[in-house]
Amino acid sequence: MILDAHGHIGSWPDFLIPDPSAEGLIATMDSTGIAATGISHLLGLGPDAVEGNRRALAVAAAHPGRFGVWQVYNPHHRTPPTDGPGVWGVKLHPDVHLCRLDDPLYEPVWKLGLPVLAHGQTDSPWSSPEQFAVVAARHPQVPLLMGHTGLWPYGFRRAAEAVAEHPSVLLEVCGSKMTGRWIARLAALAGPERVVFGSDACFLDQRIGFGRVALAPLAEPDRALIQGGNLARVLGPRLARNPGGTPL
Amino acid sequence: MPKYKPSRIADAHRLVGPVPFDDFPEDPRAELDRLGVERAYVTHTLSLYADPQAGNEALLKLGDPRLVPVPVVVPGVPGACAPASPDEVRDWGVRLVRLCPERHRWELTGPVSLRWLAVLGLPVAIDFEETSPGGLLTLARSLPDLRILLLNPGYRRLRAIAELMTEIPGLWLEIGTVNTQGGVEWLAERFGASRLVFGTGAPLVDDCGPRYLLDHLSLGQDEVDLIAAGSLEGLL
Repeated sequence: MILDAHGHIGSWPDFLIPDPSAEGLIATMDSTGIAATGISHLLGLGPDAVEGNRRALAVAAAHPGRFGVWQVYNPHHRTPPTDGPGVWGVKLHPDVHLCRLDDPLYEPVWKLGLPVLAHGQTDSPWSSPEQFAVVAARHPQVPLLMGHTGLWPYGFRRAAEAVAEHPSVLLEVCGSKMTGRWIARLAALAGPERVVFGSDACFLDQRIGFGRVALAPLAEPDRALIQGGNLARVLGPRLARNPGGTPL
Repeated sequence: MPKYKPSRIADAHRLVGPVPFDDFPEDPRAELDRLGVERAYVTHTLSLYADPQAGNEALLKLGDPRLVPVPVVVPGVPGACAPASPDEVRDWGVRLVRLCPERHRWELTGPVSLRWLAVLGLPVAIDFEETSPGGLLTLARSLPDLRILLLNPGYRRLRAIAELMTEIPGLWLEIGTVNTQGGVEWLAERFGASRLVFGTGAPLVDDCGPRYLLDHLSLGQDEVDLIAAGSLEGLL
């Protein structure tokens, strides 16, 4: 089962996204064989997490089994986090919300205990990989996906090393600077069981993100783990709790 | 829409040689084999990270028709240019040259540059990070017959790219970094696949994702073939 851990729907102010729709994403998923994508609505990452989360859940309900929702938690608005059918976990974006990943304002998220997907950016004051190690040490029971594995190529190795001793942290590999070669390197550095495919669609083109993993110089069992096996292990019964989701 | 496989593939943007910040394979041919890429248009890394002339000399010695040389030209007054004159560039017998005005610190639309490019009469490849929309517009208006391959356009400036494609008929676009959702189809619909060129910038930039995209474009067979290799031939 191929699962895309990191997706979005909706538009974003910085640049033109030609196809920000859920329907477009499903067409791409059908052509590439991706069973389901975890999404947050870009409105939710921006100024209105409550409305963005509502829209993301509505999309998941309208397309049974194809989307899981990463509910955006805005630490300033104290977005009420919830659990239920269609929810994969919580999305944090410290660089957009200008709130460090290790800030106490995120405590309600860690207490909830759901899987967390957080933007991770090397040398960012808000989301450096070293902060993932800090929160993983505080909350080792919370599965934590480091979105982009640090984002910048010069930091990919640092990111893997920063969380090497924290098995609850997985390296999610979307981003315009990621390469197939680096995905294979990360699998060798951290172990293939710690690397997770994500595309950042519709922000980025899902085909390109998936192609990086599909054509990376990986052994097939490792590729299968990265393409979906690892995320399925993290989500466990949550996959089956999607509206219309298929039990593993 | 059914997905069409490209008949043959040329990577318009690739590097050979070492870089100071990674241990990439210096020879791209094994990766080209693995990804089913027939040929690559290559620039030597020495031209980017050391000396332009030394890189060009190494490049022109490669002697493999599969690796098509794209040497770097630095227009300038005598003593500040590489090579020594436009005549020397023409003697190379290449079909495309690369310009790096930002890296090599010269003015793309300055009088010396415009004189060199007018004399050369060759298509030029320029990384978008080496110039600006304004610079490209001035260049194209100064030399309306110049054919430009814009490398590494990225995905965040699609609006500016669309304006450039509208205003500059002699502009072609490398698609390897056009990686927002549906971006390549959006450009093909507006400007035609004949102005879109497959290229990657590998190994600095990813080649696996763009190569996969070629097999999964929502375009017709003719359009896919143009992007994969035909548009570049049209440019050259």
